[in-house]
Amino acid sequence: MSEAGVREHKPRPLNQRVLLVGLAVVAPLVAVLTMNLGRNPHVIGSPLVGRAAPDFSLRPLDGGEPVTLASLRGRPVVINFWATWCVPCFQEHALLVSTARSLAERARFIGVIYEDSEEQVRGFLARQGSAYPSLVDPGSRTAIAFGIFGVPETFFIDAEGRIAAKHVGPLDAQSLEAKLRQAGLAP
Amino acid sequence: MTAAIGRNLVLLALLVSTVGAVVAAATAARRSAAGWAWTRRLAYLFALSMIAANGLMVWALLARDFSVSYVAQVGSRAVPDWVAVVSLWSSLEGSILFWGLVIGAYVGVATWANRDRHPEYMPWAVAVWLACGAFFAFLLAGPAQPFQSVSPVPADGAGPNPLLQNHLLMAIHPPFLYLGFVGMTIPFGLASAALLTGRLGHDFLRPLRTWLMLPWTFLTVAIVLGGWWAYEVLGWGGYWAWDPVENASLLPWLTATAALHSALLSERKGVLKGWTVTLVLATFLLTILGTFMTRSGVFNSVHSFTQSAIGPTILVFLVLALAWSIALLALRIDRLAAEGTIEPALGRDSLFLVNNLLFVLFTFTVLLGTVFPLLVEALRGVQMSVGRPYFDRMAVPLGVALLLLMGVGPALPWGRATPAQVRQALVPPLVGAALLAALGAALGVRRPWTLVALAFGGYTVQVTLRELWLPLARRRRAHGESLGQALVEAGFVRGRRRLGSYLVHAGAAVVIVAIAVSSTMGESREAQLRVGEKTEVGDYTLTFVAVDQVSEPHREAVVARVAVSRAGRELGVLSPRMNQYERQREPIGTPAVRSSLFEDLYLSVMNIDPASGQLDLLAMVNPMVGWIWAATALMALGSLVALVPSRADTRL
Repeated sequence: MSEAGVREHKPRPLNQRVLLVGLAVVAPLVAVLTMNLGRNPHVIGSPLVGRAAPDFSLRPLDGGEPVTLASLRGRPVVINFWATWCVPCFQEHALLVSTARSLAERARFIGVIYEDSEEQVRGFLARQGSAYPSLVDPGSRTAIAFGIFGVPETFFIDAEGRIAAKHVGPLDAQSLEAKLRQAGLAP
Repeated sequence: MTAAIGRNLVLLALLVSTVGAVVAAATAARRSAAGWAWTRRLAYLFALSMIAANGLMVWALLARDFSVSYVAQVGSRAVPDWVAVVSLWSSLEGSILFWGLVIGAYVGVATWANRDRHPEYMPWAVAVWLACGAFFAFLLAGPAQPFQSVSPVPADGAGPNPLLQNHLLMAIHPPFLYLGFVGMTIPFGLASAALLTGRLGHDFLRPLRTWLMLPWTFLTVAIVLGGWWAYEVLGWGGYWAWDPVENASLLPWLTATAALHSALLSERKGVLKGWTVTLVLATFLLTILGTFMTRSGVFNSVHSFTQSAIGPTILVFLVLALAWSIALLALRIDRLAAEGTIEPALGRDSLFLVNNLLFVLFTFTVLLGTVFPLLVEALRGVQMSVGRPYFDRMAVPLGVALLLLMGVGPALPWGRATPAQVRQALVPPLVGAALLAALGAALGVRRPWTLVALAFGGYTVQVTLRELWLPLARRRRAHGESLGQALVEAGFVRGRRRLGSYLVHAGAAVVIVAIAVSSTMGESREAQLRVGEKTEVGDYTLTFVAVDQVSEPHREAVVARVAVSRAGRELGVLSPRMNQYERQREPIGTPAVRSSLFEDLYLSVMNIDPASGQLDLLAMVNPMVGWIWAATALMALGSLVALVPSRADTRL
């Protein structure tokens, strides 16, 4: 095989140096990336959990007296910040409506409209159904008081008016149930 | 209905890419001609199904078909049609779909271009390309499904991220970035094929270099377009922040640039083949790392997409690609034996090695700075940022050294140079160095690093111009041609790669000098103004004339009208503004830039109150920023010149 002018060259089956250097560069990198995988740098835990919920007095969309948080004391309260333009809100809507209907007197549900027009919300609720009041939040003051990052965000408030839990993103049946328990709902 | 068709197209892409990868690998192992025909058909079918899936999504976005989940998420009736099209890559699932389009197109074109060439390598290459394609088709079929059905169908959607609607550049930067990132799959496949066959012949280095240079060109343009966008939109007056995701795009660029140079040495001297292949593999791996960084939520950045199952899936792919690359290198690198040697003396060959060393050092520096904060947080739970000081301290000497090398390397002859040759080559360009440094000093440059950059820039520009001129002069002497004839013959017909490369060098030298000058020689001022008041920055006088409120279909804007004059001469009115998009709480500022040949006047609204008429204005004079954009265009032009196949290639 060896031709004139070409050095005799016998390839080793495995170049161990290349293997070791490669692993030495790559292994720590992969380890660091994996360790950080579950982390979300955008999530900041709410300092409000465990404290009294900020009070508000907001007008319901379909008219009537303003709703205040103080008036809801005595039962767990679920406050859902949402908008019609938010696809995850759309996804959790049916669950919230059916849970609100089935719990009726044992817990109160409140929707707070986040950056949306009243007609849009009326149209949405007419099509998708509703079981609890949606409150208009002028200038997003209440959303700011609750420290909303984006919608949907849902707060679970216990009978004494303390924030027991918070959920970011669309609710599913398990987390809704678990967080209602945290807010003191009897099973 | 639309969603179901889209899902089926994605499934078709997944099926043909998986089957195609298997068929291609079997073809490569058995050298079957019929297998190669089937491999090609499956590769084209993969390309077509990805193109069709993207066409369908664009149609759904334009038709505002909110029954498709991705359209429901990013579509809106309120946005203009160009924004609707751009929404294709504005959000996570769509960006992966667009990735599929680009990989499909690349695989289709690269397979077609090499259908009759390199029969021993190509089936392996196509196998690797289709395996990568299958991964992205899998992402689209599972974790990043953009074609889910939404029921009941919402009446309207939220529209894409307003930052994407704020400037036309955002329609151009991402496609270029994808063409650069995804395109690195092609050289990755070719390099893998070289390792799998255990050969990297002279004939195969050409396509490797060409298919590396094409995405390199797109990536170069994309990185600078990203900087330009930041400059024109974000309003802080800069174009580069060492943001993790900016670094993610720079890392593969650095290794690809190193690979282009080492491939040239492999081609000319038959050396460094294993090293060239390693750099090509590393480039691809860094693009996947970059993709992971933007899509995993691990890094906090303006570029981040939201967190999802896509992150872990990409990490798995990264680990597989890393394992594949390391195993392949360890098993086969020894077969890519050198056919020549590098002169162990001062000459162009040895400076190629220095070039590679500097680029690799640069890569590790940036990689370390990007990943280090993650390490600290994982170990100690503290959020920290390495930030600009580290990067600037490391990048400035490296950039300046590369600038000098770009002058010294091409000045020296190949092989071993005698001391007299070295003197003859290296002394004359000192004139250019002295001239540019003196010019800078006369214009007020005092910082040592900026002066050094100017001197090295002058040196390199003189060498580059001489190298561009030499072939012309030789032809004119030898053939008695006119200047025009000589230019066409020497530049475009015969020495196209050479001409192209030196145009790229000229552009790169100007970019580095312009970065050095613009980042150290600017002036800035923050002022609080009421209507009628003036402020000054540089030799400009700025008068706050009025506040206007402008209503556009998808946004409201508060616009500050600022009259600009210099030395008593009116230069017109600049209108920096604050845009308020529907459904976004925070307004987004858009600066106003007045560019002239040597400097930009840059006005940005920090805050504006239409009621009281008070304006907080950031005013800057940024010298030479426009040169970065122009010189990048020169680099792109140069690499296009080098990429056009020459006569010799078309004969093959």
